Amino acid sequence: MILVAAAQAVRRDIGLWEWLFDAGTWTGRNGILATAGDTVRLCAAVIATSALIAVPLGAFLAHIRRGELAATWVVNVGRAIPTFALAGLLVPISLRWGYGFEPWPVFVALTLLSVPPIFLTTFTAVSQVDPVVVDAARGMGLEDRRVLLRVELALALSVILTGVRVAAVQAVATEPIRAFLGGGGLGGYLRDGLGQNNDTLVLGGAILVAALAALTGAAFGVFERVIVPKGVRRLRRAGDRGSSHNGEDHERASVQVSEAADPVGSLQLADGGLR
Amino acid sequence: MILAQATNPIIRWEYLRDEWDKVRTALIQHIELTLLAVALGLVVASVLAAIALRYRWTANPITTFTAFVYTIPSVALFGLLVPYTGVSRTTAVIPLVGYTLLILVTSILTGFRSVPPAVRDAAEGMGLSPARRVFTVELPLAVPYIITGIRVATVTTVGLVTVAAIVGEGGLGRLILDGLRRTFWTPMTVGASLSIILALVLDLSLWGLGRALTPWTRRGGPQRAATR
Amino acid sequence: MTRLSTTPTGTPTGTLTGPPAGTPAGTAAIRLIEVTKRFPGTGADAVGRGGGLRLDVAKGSIVALLGPSGCGKTTTLRMINRMIEPTSGRIEIEGRDVTRSPVAELRRGIGYVIQQVGLFPHHTVARNIAAVPSALGWDKDRIATRVRELADLVGLEPSLLDRYPDELSGGQQQRVGVARALAADPPVLLMDEPFGAVDPVVRGRLQDELLGLQSRVQKTIVLVTHDLDEAIKLADRIALLNVGGVLEQYASPDDLLRAPANEFVERFVGGDRSIRRLTLATVADLPFAQGPVVAVETATADDARSAMAAHRSDWFGLTADGVFLGWVPGAALDGAGSLADLPRTVPAAQVAATSTLRAAMEIIMTSDTSVAVVDDGGRFGGVVTLERIRAALAGA
Repeated sequence: MILVAAAQAVRRDIGLWEWLFDAGTWTGRNGILATAGDTVRLCAAVIATSALIAVPLGAFLAHIRRGELAATWVVNVGRAIPTFALAGLLVPISLRWGYGFEPWPVFVALTLLSVPPIFLTTFTAVSQVDPVVVDAARGMGLEDRRVLLRVELALALSVILTGVRVAAVQAVATEPIRAFLGGGGLGGYLRDGLGQNNDTLVLGGAILVAALAALTGAAFGVFERVIVPKGVRRLRRAGDRGSSHNGEDHERASVQVSEAADPVGSLQLADGGLR
Repeated sequence: MILAQATNPIIRWEYLRDEWDKVRTALIQHIELTLLAVALGLVVASVLAAIALRYRWTANPITTFTAFVYTIPSVALFGLLVPYTGVSRTTAVIPLVGYTLLILVTSILTGFRSVPPAVRDAAEGMGLSPARRVFTVELPLAVPYIITGIRVATVTTVGLVTVAAIVGEGGLGRLILDGLRRTFWTPMTVGASLSIILALVLDLSLWGLGRALTPWTRRGGPQRAATR
Repeated sequence: MTRLSTTPTGTPTGTLTGPPAGTPAGTAAIRLIEVTKRFPGTGADAVGRGGGLRLDVAKGSIVALLGPSGCGKTTTLRMINRMIEPTSGRIEIEGRDVTRSPVAELRRGIGYVIQQVGLFPHHTVARNIAAVPSALGWDKDRIATRVRELADLVGLEPSLLDRYPDELSGGQQQRVGVARALAADPPVLLMDEPFGAVDPVVRGRLQDELLGLQSRVQKTIVLVTHDLDEAIKLADRIALLNVGGVLEQYASPDDLLRAPANEFVERFVGGDRSIRRLTLATVADLPFAQGPVVAVETATADDARSAMAAHRSDWFGLTADGVFLGWVPGAALDGAGSLADLPRTVPAAQVAATSTLRAAMEIIMTSDTSVAVVDDGGRFGGVVTLERIRAALAGA
C-alpha cells in the first residue's frame, strides 16, 4: 500500500532563496500553491464543521443558562487531548473501517481541536447578550427591542468571529501533522526535508506554514473588520478593557469558563495538544 | 485488503508484552521531556512576569513577544531550528519551553493582578515588608491562576512532545511514527493512547494539587451568624 | 454626659490650630506641621493649600477629618503612615518624625483600617488578626491569647475565628478589620471611612462599639469620614477641611455646630445645626420641671384642675406609687368617678433619662401633652419642656 504521498525530489544543493523564487516550485501538481490549496481546503472543511457543531451547541447551552459545567468540561477535554496522538490513533481505525488513512483521521482530530475555542466564544457571547436582551425586551417597546437585538447580535457575532479566527489559525498551524501521518499539505516539505536532510526544504516548509498561519489570521482580521460595524467594535473593546484581569469576574462557579473568556484566554484554548 | 487487516489489527496485545521495554522507555522519555520543558518554562516565565509586574511598561512587549512565539506553528518551529541545532534534544526543548511562555506568563500576571486592591492596601498599610507581602499574601492568592496556567502548559507540552518525534526526539510520538513507517498499527495505537492518557492524568493531578493548595476556595458562601 | 459646650454663646471656643484648651503642647500624639501634598501632573496642592496644614491630635482622643470630596482628608490620613509621602512639611508621632523610622516598622506601630477592610481571603479570621504579631515574631501562644482577647474586645464570636473572611457578613468583617489593626496594640489608629460599606443599622452599632472600645483602650484615633453625623457622634474634635486640604475649623462637635468659623463651615454643617446639637446631650442633663402631675392615691379632681391651671395645660398626668400611669385630658374630669378610672393616653408621651435631647424633641413635637421623664422601672422623674431644651442649647 502506498502510505506516503510521493516525495518531492529536490536537489540538495539549492539555496533557500532560489528555491522560493523558482517558479517551478510554486506551480505544478506538487507545487507550493497546489499543496497550500490542499491545506486550505482541509482547514476550511474543519472550521466549517466545527462551527456547525460548536455554534449551535454554545448558543443553546448559553440560552438555557445551564451550560457552565458542561462548558468547562468541553473546554478541558478538548484542551487535554493531544491532536497528533489522536490523529495517529484514528489512522488504523479509519483504515479498518475503510475510510482510508487520509484525510479522515487528521480531519477528525483537527475538528475536535477547533470546537472548544468556537464553542467557548459562542457560549460567552450569547450568555452575555441574553440577559440584556431579555431585560430590554421586557421594558421597552417593540421598536427599541429590534434595534437593541441587532446591536447585541452584532456584538455577539463579532465575539464568535474571534473564536473562529483563533480556531482557524490554530487549525492551519496544526495541519502539518497530516504530512507525517501519510497525508498531503504543506507539512510535506518539512517531512521530506527532514527525511532527506535537506535544510532548504525544512526551512522553506517552516516559513510557508508560518506564513500561511499568519495570513489566515490576517485574513480573518480583515473579514471581521469588514463585517462588524465600527461602533460595535468600540463597544467591545471598552467591554474587554473593563473586564479583563478583573478579579471579581472570576467567581468560584465559573472560574474555568471565565478565565478563558479573557481576551488572552481565548489563546489558551489554542492548544489542545499539538499546538 | 481483508487479509492485511486480519493480521494487522488496531492493537495486538502481544506487542505490549514483548516490547514493553520500548514502550516504557518512550513513556518515561516523554514524561521527562514534558516536565523539563514545563519546569524551565516556569522559571523563565516567572522572571518575565516579575519584570512585567515591576516595570509596568514592559508588560505589553513581553506579552506580545510570548504571543508571537506561540503563534509560530510548532512543526514549523521545530523545522526552523533543525538546520541550526541539528536533530538533538536542544532542538526540541527550545520550542517546547517557548510555547509554554505565553500561557505561564499570562497566568502569573493574571494571578497577581487578581489580588483585590483593598487587600494590597491593607497589607502595605499594616507594615508588612514587600517580600512578606509578595510571598505570604499575593502569591498564595495568585496560585489558582498559576496552577491553571501550569495545567494548560503541561497538557500542551505533552501534545507537543508527541510532535517532537519528527525531529528525532524519543517519546510516545516515536512509537506513532514507527508504527506508521512499519505499517504496524499497534505501536501507533499504544503511543497515541498513552499520550492522551498521560495528558489527562497530568491535568487531573495538577487540578487536584491546585485544590489542595487553596483551602479557602473550597468553603461555602457567607454564613451569617445569628446575631448581626 | 453632655457634650454641649457650657460657655455662653458669643465666645467661640473653636480654634484653628493648637492643642485643645487645657492641654499642654507636649501631649499632642500626632502633629502635622505645615504639611502639603501636590500630586505630580496636577496644578494645585491636594493638601495644605495656602501655607500647609497644621494640625495637632491630642493623645487618647478621636479626631475626625471631615469635608467634601477633594478636600484631601484621605490623603492627609495616608500621609500619617506614609502610604503617601508629603511634598513638604513634617509629621510627628509622639514627638518623632515619621520619616525617621523605616516605613514598615512605622506602620507596624500604627493600626490601619480601611473601608473595604482588605482581609486576606486565604487566611482564617484568626490568622488575619494575627498578621502583624506574626510578622513581629511573637510566639504562638502569645498570639493565640491575643487573638482571643481581641475577638472579645470587638464583639466577635469565637466560633468565627476559624472561618474564612468570605463566610462573614459585612459588619463581622469590619470588626475583624478593627481587631487586626489593634493586634499589636499600637498607640495610634487610622481609620478611613471604616463604616462606609455597611448598612446604616450595622453602622450605628459599629459606631457605638467603637466608642465603647475607646473607653477601654484609649487610643489616639484619626478617622476620615464624609458623614457629618458620624463625625459628631464619634469625634472629640472635628477638623473640617475644604478643597485643597485647607483647615477651615478645628473644634469640638458642639463648637463647630454652635459657632461656625466662617461661611463654608456654616454651609457645610447645614441649617439644622441647632437640632444636630441636640444629639450631644441627654435628657438627664436637663433640670426637670414638676409638671401637672398628681398622685392617684392622694389627689382629687380639684387638685388635678389646679395643677393644670398652674402649668397652663389641658392635660394632667397620673402616678401610682411613683410609677407614671399616663396623661389624662382635662375634659375627662367633667364626668364623675375617681381619678383612677379615667382613660389615659396610649402610648403616654414619655422619655427615658438616657435619651438624647433630639429624641425628646421628637416626642415633644408629636405629642399634645407634656412629656414625662421615666426611669427603667417606669417611675416618674419630672417633665421635659421645650423651654428647658432651648436654655440648654444657649449654654445657660
